[in-house]
Amino acid sequence: MATTYRRKPTKAEIRRQKMEAAVLYPIDWLEERSGLIGGVKYFLFRNVPSDINWMQTLGSAALTAFLVQAITGVILAMYYVPSAATDPATGKPVAWESIVNITDHLTMGWLVRGMHRWGASVFIILMFLHMGRVFLFGAYKYPRELNWVIGVLILVMGMMEGFTGYLLPWDQTAYWATVVGINLNGTAPFLGPWLAQFLRGGQEIGAGTLTRFYSLHMLVIPGAIIALITLHLYLVIRLGVTSPPWSKDAAGGEPEEEDGVRLRPGLTRPVPRPSGASAMQAEPGGRE
Amino acid sequence: MEPEQPSPDSQHEEAHLPAPTLYPIGFAIGIVVVLVGLIIDPLLISSIGAVIAIVFAILWARDATAELRGEQVVVEPERRETDEADEATTADQQGLMDAPVSRSVFLEGTTLGLGAAIGLLITLPVAGFAVLPSFLGQLLHKVDLGPISQFPLNTWYITTFVVDPAQGEVTRRTAFVRNNGLVANPANPSQQVPSFSIISNHCVHLGCPVQANGPSGTKYVGQPRIVEHTANGKVTGDPVLPAGYGCPCHGGQYDPEGNRIAGPPVRALDRYAYEIDHGRLVLLSVYSVSHVVGTGAQAKIYKYKDAGPGEHIDGPEQWLYPIQPPHN
Amino acid sequence: MAAIPQNKEKPSRVDELRAEFARYKADVKSRGKPFYPYAMFHDTIMSLVVVCSIIGLAVIWKWSSYGPHHDPLHKGLLGPEVDPPADPGTTSFVPRPDWYFYFLFYLLRIFKWPESVFLGTVGVPTIALMLLIGLPFLDRRRVRRPSARPVAMVAAVLTIISMGVLTWKGATAKEALASEVIQNVPHWIKDEQLPKNAIPGVNLFARAGCTACHTYDGAGGAQLGAPDLTEIANRHLGVATQIKHLNNPSSVTPGSPMPPFASLGQERIRQLALFLEASKGTH
Repeated sequence: MATTYRRKPTKAEIRRQKMEAAVLYPIDWLEERSGLIGGVKYFLFRNVPSDINWMQTLGSAALTAFLVQAITGVILAMYYVPSAATDPATGKPVAWESIVNITDHLTMGWLVRGMHRWGASVFIILMFLHMGRVFLFGAYKYPRELNWVIGVLILVMGMMEGFTGYLLPWDQTAYWATVVGINLNGTAPFLGPWLAQFLRGGQEIGAGTLTRFYSLHMLVIPGAIIALITLHLYLVIRLGVTSPPWSKDAAGGEPEEEDGVRLRPGLTRPVPRPSGASAMQAEPGGRE
Repeated sequence: MEPEQPSPDSQHEEAHLPAPTLYPIGFAIGIVVVLVGLIIDPLLISSIGAVIAIVFAILWARDATAELRGEQVVVEPERRETDEADEATTADQQGLMDAPVSRSVFLEGTTLGLGAAIGLLITLPVAGFAVLPSFLGQLLHKVDLGPISQFPLNTWYITTFVVDPAQGEVTRRTAFVRNNGLVANPANPSQQVPSFSIISNHCVHLGCPVQANGPSGTKYVGQPRIVEHTANGKVTGDPVLPAGYGCPCHGGQYDPEGNRIAGPPVRALDRYAYEIDHGRLVLLSVYSVSHVVGTGAQAKIYKYKDAGPGEHIDGPEQWLYPIQPPHN
Repeated sequence: MAAIPQNKEKPSRVDELRAEFARYKADVKSRGKPFYPYAMFHDTIMSLVVVCSIIGLAVIWKWSSYGPHHDPLHKGLLGPEVDPPADPGTTSFVPRPDWYFYFLFYLLRIFKWPESVFLGTVGVPTIALMLLIGLPFLDRRRVRRPSARPVAMVAAVLTIISMGVLTWKGATAKEALASEVIQNVPHWIKDEQLPKNAIPGVNLFARAGCTACHTYDGAGGAQLGAPDLTEIANRHLGVATQIKHLNNPSSVTPGSPMPPFASLGQERIRQLALFLEASKGTH
């Protein structure tokens, strides 16, 4: 595979080639044994419609917020103690004290805790905005219905994550908001009282409630969210990102008739279609 | 299947690897036994290990040097010839296909069945552990509130107590307690027994802490504050003059007997059953109340099994909650 | 929606959908831009904004509820950093959920009839969630332009407005806690220019839970429809009627849900009546 030069390569060019080869060697090694590099390349260099809009960054922004939560959460878990027992030395609950410790005494603990607490709100806001954007763009229609359903499940899981995390500081707001939240579930017909007792870990809220909420918040719900996000991203990459529906250059063009009724001509023009696509070769041009 | 004969040419012209042999494994086992024996029992076990190692070393060396000494080495090729094999086995397979259950179907079924069994073996204990402890073994904790003499007659007290001292402050609860004086014992009308109204402060809409609508404290009520140390930790009582109880969450209002007056609560406030043990007031389990007629010692309380907040216990909507989880 | 190819001029709906998607794919392939760097650049900028906002909020939270020696009453711009520890036996706390649940919280206040409780707690939210999940199966039209989807747009606007209103009303729902209301008493005395004989009454008023149902000079709860008492004296009911009403509200206002306050004692009832008759409104 010799590249043909017009003249002999200079020393600089030889050095550059050697450096490239050195850098590429481990990448090629990895690619030959796993195929991962090809996957990353496909993800990075795939085409997206040329008219995509700033609103379409909300999804990845929500993902960033989730990653912030995951990372800050892991760090906080190293110092937080999920125990409702009372510290005999101070008379305060141990979990509450660990939060005060993080906030007041540990270096930058206030920053990590603050990021986690406000990151939760930002995450939820971004998910709602992203959902609104997808609704506006009609990007839940064929073939993206499954992706919408997965997205709604991520939203619900995110709110459950917020609900379980809210109890962990074990202060008055946390305790009573959780009492009401669990009793809310308890009013569901037939299985409600059983669900409420399972969540509480008994007849009344106690130490068992805190530990199982901790388990849900740290392991069960994040696991579900990560699995759902993976599916969600896989579908986004596979099915592609839509153009804004009002765009003049929308990829694929907009349908001109629906259920046999010709739609009012809108902003889009029919896009010149690749030959052989269908018998519906429209004339070029706009509104007529 | 004829073993491949090494040609005389190949033997002497190219360097080749020794014939495959399993004796090194025995040798390695011998070494391991020596080392283990050094820890456990050097005299006996290491000696055994040494013997094993030496024996297998000799055998291995004999094998490896076989060619050198001129012996004929027969090496069985690794791959089986497949051409004649196929024709031979199809006849067998035909016979098997005619059997009641073909081999592939049997294997499929067994794989799935065993997989399901493994799944159950793992899942059932784990799921049981996750779910059952919340429902089984709900113990009744009796709460000793102190001698009944410390509760002045006909005065409401906002009383806090710890239900389970072993679990500590997380089980602290509040009840509105009033000493109603003496009343005729229903079982034995000639006898007079103390009567108490003990109302739980958990709102029966969604469980928020209910507050007394009235001034509290000795200044307004003219009765002393109660502080008592019992087996259930510190019991405190604040006297109060409630014209009713109200819930701050969603605006539920109750009268002094706990009946719902206004707002979303679905029934009257829950009450504690109690007993008098050697002159001390002891709280038992909580029960639910649909409504109360009358006040104080003469109140007629319509009792039901303890239900969670927001759950109807009478009226047409009680069918929404037919089976309650186990309570104490 | 047969999978069997139809032998008609008009292709089946499924075929149309597939053809449209195939056109989209071909378009993106021929006219699209690579994700990296074009789209990823936008994503990266937005992610930077998000991370900076989160850090900014954390910093503001810390520095507006200042320092390690937290003044427990100092709430700061974003609330206190540390709340008092959980007290299951409290009688002086007003529970509230996290802000993104305020719309559900207010929904519960709307459904205030006991028979309808389960609608507010699980009925309405479940139906809403089912509609949300089922959206792609309810709206099967192909068109995506907002101008051609009137039903969807109107539904979206109504949903956003109602969620926003419910959240805002949940955030501003006030309940009157006796411990907070007591602090208002000096402020009321000044505002209403209450005479000396009304002082015991106003103190009692703040403690007796009246503000759970009545509002007075900006404080209190109006959830249950009880009248505002800031200018009650201007109705010229007279001390005697006030005393009669406090002892047994139904005797003055038939059918009133207000409970009798006779248990306070007649001297205290008189003090309350004097206070009410001195409340002529703020100056």
